[in-house]
Amino acid sequence: MDSIIKINVERDGHQSRLKESYHNAPYKLTHYGSPRAQDHLEMIIMSASPGIMDKDSLVIDVHVKENAQLKLFTQSFNKLHPMKEGASQETNVLLDKDSVFNYVPHPVTPFKDSIFKTVNTIHVNDGATLIWGDIISAGRVHRDEVFAFRKLHSITRIYQNGKLLVTDNQCLLPQEQPVSDLLFFEGYTHQATLIYCGPFAKLMKGEMDEILTMEYEDVSFGFTECAENTLLLRAVGTDGELLYSFLTMLAQMCWVFTQDQLVTKAEETAGIVAETAPKEAVSTGTEKKVVKRVAAKKTTARKKATPKETASNMIDAKEAVKKKTIAKGKKAVKKTVEQRTVSKKAV
Amino acid sequence: MNPLLTLLQINDSVFPIGSFTHSYGLETYIHKGIVNDSNSTEAYAEKMLRYNFFYNDAAFFHETWKICEKKALKQKLIELDHLITSLKSPYEIRDASKKLAIRFLKVVESFQSVRRCKAYLKAIQEGEAHGHYAMAFAMYAHAQNISLDDALSAFYYNSLNGIVTNCAKLVPISQMDGQKILFKLQPLIRELVDKQADMDPDMIGNCCIVQDIRCMQHEKLYTRIYIS
Repeated sequence: MDSIIKINVERDGHQSRLKESYHNAPYKLTHYGSPRAQDHLEMIIMSASPGIMDKDSLVIDVHVKENAQLKLFTQSFNKLHPMKEGASQETNVLLDKDSVFNYVPHPVTPFKDSIFKTVNTIHVNDGATLIWGDIISAGRVHRDEVFAFRKLHSITRIYQNGKLLVTDNQCLLPQEQPVSDLLFFEGYTHQATLIYCGPFAKLMKGEMDEILTMEYEDVSFGFTECAENTLLLRAVGTDGELLYSFLTMLAQMCWVFTQDQLVTKAEETAGIVAETAPKEAVSTGTEKKVVKRVAAKKTTARKKATPKETASNMIDAKEAVKKKTIAKGKKAVKKTVEQRTVSKKAV
Repeated sequence: MNPLLTLLQINDSVFPIGSFTHSYGLETYIHKGIVNDSNSTEAYAEKMLRYNFFYNDAAFFHETWKICEKKALKQKLIELDHLITSLKSPYEIRDASKKLAIRFLKVVESFQSVRRCKAYLKAIQEGEAHGHYAMAFAMYAHAQNISLDDALSAFYYNSLNGIVTNCAKLVPISQMDGQKILFKLQPLIRELVDKQADMDPDMIGNCCIVQDIRCMQHEKLYTRIYIS
């Protein structure tokens, strides 16, 4: 079956809204909770099918327009059923200026004899942020279907302002490659990749250097600056749920960090405008939104800075945001580890 | 100039481009005790050549060679350079490729100027290209009338020699065992060189996930002897 999902997100005032969308069977695209519960848009892709069947093809087109923000969720593990010819998925993402897009789908679970190819093409424009994850499992581990699939090929290409920035090419052929051995999975059964691309990636790398200092028993990971303004984290583990929690937690950290940085950036811009035109009543839409956001979320209890105070206040604010993000990250990491310990004890 | 002697010279492990300062993630494997004796060294070397090098640096070498054969425009080389840069995710691996390329191009430029190599070096220095060792090596070898078969075989051997030398120093394994591995894996190099032209273009840059992670983990190793 050939399926299509189209999502267009636009900024409307201080909220991001779904403007045009399309989906056909067996997929359904719907709001993830209340559409107005937050400023950004949260959508979920649901499916009436038990998974992807032979000859299925799915095209997902996502366009996040200027200043809009989208978090896209999936409903459950993406199950690939036994196949003869194979199935495919194509995801095309276009992120306009200063937009934010977060997508960490549930793990792909390839059943015995499945064949799957997925090609992701992502265009990131000036100031836009991409938080992108994917997890591949070895199969239905508890049914002894470990690496029983035939082929799983995933290609992700990220372009920034039209220039090829990152290519991730992973092809698993268990019948030809020693996939559970050295260099490949090395005894693990799940692999995960998280890409954070945008204007704050370098700063986020600094945060991660401070947060991700521990080594875990069940998850082995590494991260690097894989290109300019792009952070790549790869991890392997033995538990799909755990790896999914680990990746979504890190993606959420990136999301929170991006939001904090955007607020700081807007405040700086508002400060510069105030400095250059101190006598004029500066009340741009951005500034109003920033003040509203800051007050609503109570991230800082600062009053609007006078031009002379701006520089020092900005530095203080940056430090506060930095400390807050690190604390959040450490707390989240600790929580994940604790959850794992509890589940282990239960077993 | 004698093509064979030129190949021996540019492929020598003491050719002054700093290749001995890189382990390409191997140091992490040794640090974690995964590569810990002659057997695991051989297994690592064999898998690296077959599943990593074949789809990555050797494939990049072969693509460069094809461009040189067609006498294609410089733009084709720049496009390939960008593709390779986008594929080499771990920062240290990408940086190693650049450093080696610059050193290699500077050294060979001092022997006998090759127009294509000179243009590539200029493009790197001006930021138009990133710089990759596999491309630089292929360009110069092609200009020296070395056959593709010999040049690519030597390029594989060079990489294998690097792994064995690093293991002799770090694991450590005996020099005798190291030499046996080099000799034993000759048929593998022959096999891979023969298959190189038939590699599925969709597989270029294929990544071995944990090997990639080990390269990234190298950035955080407490004690490091190698740059990558």
